Amino acid sequence: MSAYIIPLFILVVLVTGFCRRVPIYGSFVTGVKGSLQLLLSIMPYFTVILIAVQLFTASGLGAKTEQLLKPVFTALGIPPQLTQLVVIRPLSGNGSIAVLQTLMDEYGADSYIVRCGSVIVGASETTFYVATIYFSTVKEKKLRYAVPVCLIASLAGAVAACALCRII
Amino acid sequence: MLAGGLIFLTVTAPQTAFSVMLTGTTNAVELALSLFAVYAIWLSVLEIMDKAGISKAVNKLLAPLWKRIFKGESDKALEYISLNFSANLLGMGSAATPMGIKAMEHMSKGREKASDNMILFLVFNATSIQLIPATVVGMRAAEGSANAADIILPSLLATVISTAVGVTLAKLCGKISGKMRKKLPLSRR
Repeated sequence: MSAYIIPLFILVVLVTGFCRRVPIYGSFVTGVKGSLQLLLSIMPYFTVILIAVQLFTASGLGAKTEQLLKPVFTALGIPPQLTQLVVIRPLSGNGSIAVLQTLMDEYGADSYIVRCGSVIVGASETTFYVATIYFSTVKEKKLRYAVPVCLIASLAGAVAACALCRII
Repeated sequence: MLAGGLIFLTVTAPQTAFSVMLTGTTNAVELALSLFAVYAIWLSVLEIMDKAGISKAVNKLLAPLWKRIFKGESDKALEYISLNFSANLLGMGSAATPMGIKAMEHMSKGREKASDNMILFLVFNATSIQLIPATVVGMRAAEGSANAADIILPSLLATVISTAVGVTLAKLCGKISGKMRKKLPLSRR
């Protein structure tokens, strides 16, 4: 069902555009040009973020952070097996998918841990990445309270996820 | 994070530091290529939507809602906000990003600090508002889950909770910082 959404949507747009005599080829050329420009302006920002994330995880600083946060998370009702996932989720999309995959291999797709983890991944975003990308083309670089608010909100989502998976 | 990670790595395993940084950069190049591909298609579709008047139609449907949440933004900004939210809801996250960036550009007034509305918009996007987490459902199905889709409902509820917490906090922080700014000139008198 959801596989049809994107092709159908694009098809509807194309047909509507065609009926209203929008130059389709020209629009695509403009779009691709825009994509190149957009990429040039956002790439420096996410490159730095990805280097930082790589250093953070490879250096063992990530593991130390997990150890520090584990008791806090446990008190909030997040199982200790999921600490790594909750820490990596706002940093790296691919990273959190990889962690979820290892959890699936270890505990099975229908275990409480994996259901919880799936909800955590499905109901949140790569906060740092979203923040850098969304603010990369504008002059405003001081994000004030933005990132802490997003992180707290994601944590609240994770806590809710673990609680909800016990009932539903 | 950059410096912290580097210091830590220099202490524990200095010979790997440079290759780790290279891995990060290589990841960025790979990401850039895939993003270019995705944005090229969506920005083209968006261009046609703009010219065919579809964007305006979507906006007419949703604008009354956003006008209340994002007070004082231009019609063009509201239009991109509408498109961004629609794409997010439909699970087209890759389409939502370029529209979100455009919305930010229209909300930007070239100041140094992000405005309350810009932060609010980021919070909506950073707490994820999609209806069906397709990737995760797909992963569970591939691992032989008996009911891979049974996480959709809790995901939806968890998303609503995290967005609600985020919006409330953002509004609260906006009010507090607004009050502090008003107080400043008073105390100087």
